Amino acid sequence: MSEPARTTATEQYREAFETLRPALRGQPERRSAAFARFEELGFPGSRDEAWKYTNLRRLESRRFAPAIRADALCAKIVLPATLGDRRVVLVNGHLRDDLSNLRSPPSGVRIGALGEVRAHDGVAATVLRWPQGGGTERFAALNAAMSADPLLIEVERGIRCNEVLHVVLVANGAAPTMSYPRVSVRMAPDSFLRVVLHHVGDETGEHFVAAVVDAELADGAELHAYRIQAAGGRAFHIERFDVTVGAGARLAVRDSQLGSSLSRLDLNINLAGRAAEAAVTGLFIADGSRHLDTHVHIDHRGVETRSLQDYRGVAANRGRAVFNGKTVVHEGAQKSNARQSSRNLLLTQGAEIDTKPELEIYADDVQCGHGATTGQLDPAAMFYLRSRGLSEDEARSALTRAFAGAVLSRIDHAPVASLVHDELDDRLVRLMEPQS
Amino acid sequence: MLSIRDLHAQIGARKILKGLSLEVNAGEVHAIMGPNGSGKSTLASVLVGREGYEVTQGTVDYCGRNLLALAPEERAREGVFLAFQYPVEIPGVNNAYLLKAALNAVRKQRGLGELDAFDFLSLVRDKMKLMQMDESFLNRGVNEGFSGGEKKRNEILQMALLEPRLALLDETDSGLDIDALRIVASGVNSLRAPGRAIVLVTHYQRLLDYIEPDYVHVLSDGRILRTGDKSLALELERRGYDWVKQEASAA
Repeated sequence: MSEPARTTATEQYREAFETLRPALRGQPERRSAAFARFEELGFPGSRDEAWKYTNLRRLESRRFAPAIRADALCAKIVLPATLGDRRVVLVNGHLRDDLSNLRSPPSGVRIGALGEVRAHDGVAATVLRWPQGGGTERFAALNAAMSADPLLIEVERGIRCNEVLHVVLVANGAAPTMSYPRVSVRMAPDSFLRVVLHHVGDETGEHFVAAVVDAELADGAELHAYRIQAAGGRAFHIERFDVTVGAGARLAVRDSQLGSSLSRLDLNINLAGRAAEAAVTGLFIADGSRHLDTHVHIDHRGVETRSLQDYRGVAANRGRAVFNGKTVVHEGAQKSNARQSSRNLLLTQGAEIDTKPELEIYADDVQCGHGATTGQLDPAAMFYLRSRGLSEDEARSALTRAFAGAVLSRIDHAPVASLVHDELDDRLVRLMEPQS
Repeated sequence: MLSIRDLHAQIGARKILKGLSLEVNAGEVHAIMGPNGSGKSTLASVLVGREGYEVTQGTVDYCGRNLLALAPEERAREGVFLAFQYPVEIPGVNNAYLLKAALNAVRKQRGLGELDAFDFLSLVRDKMKLMQMDESFLNRGVNEGFSGGEKKRNEILQMALLEPRLALLDETDSGLDIDALRIVASGVNSLRAPGRAIVLVTHYQRLLDYIEPDYVHVLSDGRILRTGDKSLALELERRGYDWVKQEASAA
């Protein structure tokens, strides 16, 4: 029964793949295999547990044009203010040399599109791998099939990159466009890197972005990833973000979800080595009629691994958010420490947040804790502030900023922190305006 | 300044104030005393517009305006201030932010410009000295992790800064040790002024040793049964509340 529908839904992607294929660089057989996997998985059905709260029928029914290189390379782009020391820009997944600063990278750091960087063979082969399993494998495979310029960032052994990279991933086009930006980070032992992964798009474009980020941290490496999902207000943004963390390596992800019409993030972290660490904090703002779905999955495989997951969500109007945080402590991951927290704030009636923290523990000598709350602003605190002369709007803003502040204070890169603060303030101001 | 006539108020179906009348003029200090459950805190809550209290009868006139028609923040800007019995903790909202926002809200109402950071800080430092509070309190969350006494001092600090026309203190003495009580009382006394009225709601006479009232009212079962001067408070301390009730019902 579902077979014909699936064919119709994936048909335009087949056409796009055929159109793009001649221009795609590197490993055609891998591209074909990836596309075959996408066709095999198709769009998620209504009973798919991984898509329980997020219905993709609206995405399925839309038509998107493939992102042609010539268009992407000449499109006029209004770039966001710079948030780092060196900017790299992909438009619809195509690297824009003219907007990027790729000259004289810091010593020991290589940045470029796959096929252009002098990546050694092993690395090149891994870049078009797509992560297996989970609700977003289909989109990761679609990305692997059609990603135009997979961006590869390599940091050599022992290199501490003192520049903050600002990677801007732009969705653009006069017509609704599909694009497949991809960023791969390969960190050699004891290397250090800070990168801002900034997704933006034109405010009116009904684009579809299926993004992939994958990072490998060798032993002792340290990566700070500041993710900003600021896609255009009508965009569909689906992202698969996978990180493998080696022995003694440390990962920090600071996630801010501000944009899109519908977005889904699957963040999968594999604490593979002994004493690997991950700290993931995030804020999502589901206002207007935005739908934001976040799945964070952390696997503790090494002994003495540590993880912290702290997400806060704000929803208003007809906004809807889903948070699914899962931490698995595998057998043998003794002396591990896992904490997760999901706190959510509903600012107006009609908004909805579904949160589901899960902890699975298969080792006996571990320390774990989790908690989840969803509620409204404390009426006693609201009244207290109003009794001091603050208007209802001011009181609500102050309390919402306080709520978000607990995770925003973890953004230890000031330009990103102030962008998110400003954006939150801006949203709060707009919330107070009469609804049309 | 404040004229309460025949005020009836209830929470849900429970009637608490049953015909309370009270006149307070500028420059006066009134103490409202009464046993637990007499309606003292309800009176304070109704005057500042806390949700959940329904006024079914009576009027409250404040400086010629119908106080009950104003939103809580409008009352505050018009110069009504309540020092809460249980000040809430608001983690993440900076104490300095609240003080500044509150001060600028009342200044705006009075037709004054916003204070700049420098003037604000020097003003707030003066008031903190008065309340013997360390400046580090400015950078903490509102009442976050404050002891009971620190919370009460923070309330009086806000009051000293905002210079209300009508200051209401709800059981500000409860839970204070003698040193904290002295500090709080001296803060309140420093606010005594010809243009300002102070209404103290209290269960015990102790506070009145430090803040001398012009009038003492006994509130019982939602009404004021007796009004006297400060000697009434001493008499209540000696004899309890029952004799007032008995005399009132005999009359």
